[in-house]
Amino acid sequence: MTWRFLRQIFCVSAVCSGCVSTGAFGIESLGVESVSDVVLDTTQQHSASSQRPNIVFILADDLGYTDIAPYGGEVNTPSLSALAERGVRFTNYHTAANCAPARAMLLTGVDSHLAGVPNIPEMLAPQQRVHANYQGVLGDDVVTVATLLEDAGYHTYMAGKWHLGMAPDKRPSRRGFQRTVAMMDSGADNWEQRPYIALYDQANWFADGERFTLPEDFYSSRFLVDKMINFIDSNLQDGKPFFAYLPFMAVHSPVQAPQEYIDHYMGLYDSGWDVLRQQRMVRAAALGIVQADTPMVRMTTTDEWDALSEEQRRYQAKRMAVYAGMIEAMDFHIGRLIEFLKQRGQYDNTIFIFTSDNGSEASGPADPRAFPKRLIPENLGYNLDYDTLGLKGSFSTIGPGFASASASPLAYYKFYAGEGGMRVPLIISGKPVARQQQLTRAFAWATDITPTILSLTGVSQPAARYAGRPVQAITGRDLTPLLSGAAERIYGPDDAVGYELTDHGVLFQGDYKLVVNQPPVGDGQWRLFDIVADPGETIDLAAPQALRFQRMLSRYEQYRRDNNVVQVPAGYSQIKQVWSNILLQYRDATLVFLLTILWLLPFYVASRMESRMKSTLTP
Amino acid sequence: MNTVLKLLVLLPAILFLVTGMRWLVAPAEIAPNFGLTLSDSIGLSSQIGNMTGFFLTLGSCMLIALISERRSWYYPPMMLLAITALGRILAWLLHNATLAVSQITVEVVVALVLLLASRRLPQER
Repeated sequence: MTWRFLRQIFCVSAVCSGCVSTGAFGIESLGVESVSDVVLDTTQQHSASSQRPNIVFILADDLGYTDIAPYGGEVNTPSLSALAERGVRFTNYHTAANCAPARAMLLTGVDSHLAGVPNIPEMLAPQQRVHANYQGVLGDDVVTVATLLEDAGYHTYMAGKWHLGMAPDKRPSRRGFQRTVAMMDSGADNWEQRPYIALYDQANWFADGERFTLPEDFYSSRFLVDKMINFIDSNLQDGKPFFAYLPFMAVHSPVQAPQEYIDHYMGLYDSGWDVLRQQRMVRAAALGIVQADTPMVRMTTTDEWDALSEEQRRYQAKRMAVYAGMIEAMDFHIGRLIEFLKQRGQYDNTIFIFTSDNGSEASGPADPRAFPKRLIPENLGYNLDYDTLGLKGSFSTIGPGFASASASPLAYYKFYAGEGGMRVPLIISGKPVARQQQLTRAFAWATDITPTILSLTGVSQPAARYAGRPVQAITGRDLTPLLSGAAERIYGPDDAVGYELTDHGVLFQGDYKLVVNQPPVGDGQWRLFDIVADPGETIDLAAPQALRFQRMLSRYEQYRRDNNVVQVPAGYSQIKQVWSNILLQYRDATLVFLLTILWLLPFYVASRMESRMKSTLTP
Repeated sequence: MNTVLKLLVLLPAILFLVTGMRWLVAPAEIAPNFGLTLSDSIGLSSQIGNMTGFFLTLGSCMLIALISERRSWYYPPMMLLAITALGRILAWLLHNATLAVSQITVEVVVALVLLLASRRLPQER
């Protein structure tokens, strides 16, 4: 109660003083990186070196680039704003375009294809699954940061979505986490233990490696933070540092939030997605996240807001209000964790890393109540009613219009290789981080998180063999020089970073990005953008810079070869493959049923003949 | 033979047939139910072949016994189940295996039901 009251005061004062908008980031709002502001407190540095820092790694799910206040979002996220004030915000951080590959890279520092997770298993084609690195689960030849930290004497905890394999040897409890409560699927309901898509026959929750039944009184963000607090509290007395991995289910579909959070945003989105996208770009520019008047493309999947009926606009606005409420609820529970660490005297020795697994999710239908789209959630027992949207038993998403606003000013969204799918917030924060209230425009990549954590904790990267077996080398880079101000960029102008997802392809090199987005939203054409000057990917430089374009194409092909990328089969589409895999899941049961019937048929015929013969012989 | 006893034979017979089919169609799904990890090459061939053969033979003999009402058709499934249960006990005693109480119970109970059903049929010459 007291915490809630204090928090509300903080929110009000933060908004009034403008610290979540522009005030506290005055220098950065001009786009100037003030390396000279680095504070070198020798006492503090000595203390930090003698006491290894705790790491709290918070991962949001499907959070768009400008969804939170420190990146220009209108959503009230005071906890994340406070973290941003105590650390460094990355404006040019990139991750995979979908869930599990991002998680594999974040936790291992190895490219998703080499880590065994080039795509989520739900989207892998059978032709791809014949390859050992295309199983969609974390390979045995990669070491997680949790394992490395555990072996270095850290306590390691995880509470949240795993999605890197459910087999016993793939569970987080076998991949370096000492205490776990883990959602094993791509997502699940946030209010109760039920699957959110027909692909799963149940919501697969595990705790410490065993199946787990959720409590009756459950809301995902609250529950996960409660668990994490319990885990941390249970071992604090032994003085060992901890690594706490907190991958929220927020804001993955089904988008659900407590009513009191939804209420904060009712009416706020009545002007529609185009207005919101513009507002966010302006705020992001004011914060120095992007340059002023960053040009934007309008996605072809974005409907005309004015063409919607009043009732449709009302419903769409509430979808976004639920989404914003879910973000604020997550932020509130992050705040509870921070408060707990303060009370236990751990806050000053804790480094927080906050990011998202990928950009905002646009897969929800533009009109979820239209036939036949509504049948999908309804067949799972969900309702789509306006009044209860976001509450228990309700299924909600934001759809492509608001997903594009959520990624403002970027193009595309989750599952695509446009910036909206891959560029997300990254905040590294805490007293042990020397620089505070800083922005960096340096390029950073998902595989950089593990080597950065290892560097911050003084733990060595694994050699060619670890625990007696050969392992993949970490390819990510240590970002700590950016945190200390010792460097302005980690990747040089010629360093290339490749990425592939179902033939969407990317090569980052210097300020440039070579990219192809495949249908249905993309057109399969390779393009070249300067993503520092043009993060909205509006000006194709393929023709004016033909030589660079060709060089980067060749380099991308090398990336494919080096990382064992397997082409998708002809006619592949992500959504078709998911449906195909759902049907495939029931194929075995159907086949067993049919074969059993076939096997029983002669017995049935014999039985009928036998009884007929008996009746004939009976006088 | 009364209807209840026939059902007590019919239901496990169908269950055994389904188990055999599952070994044939989706061995990876059913193997963990037997505490098995799927092998590869010849090992996988033996696992699928032997398990399918065992369960389809078991279920089929029980169905033939029901239809033909001949006592002799009950003997093969009784032997299969009893020897399997015995093998499990010996595995526990001699080879340090876990004593699979629930599996042994099912095998012994079904074997006893089959014995009871066979006793209700006239002696064959």
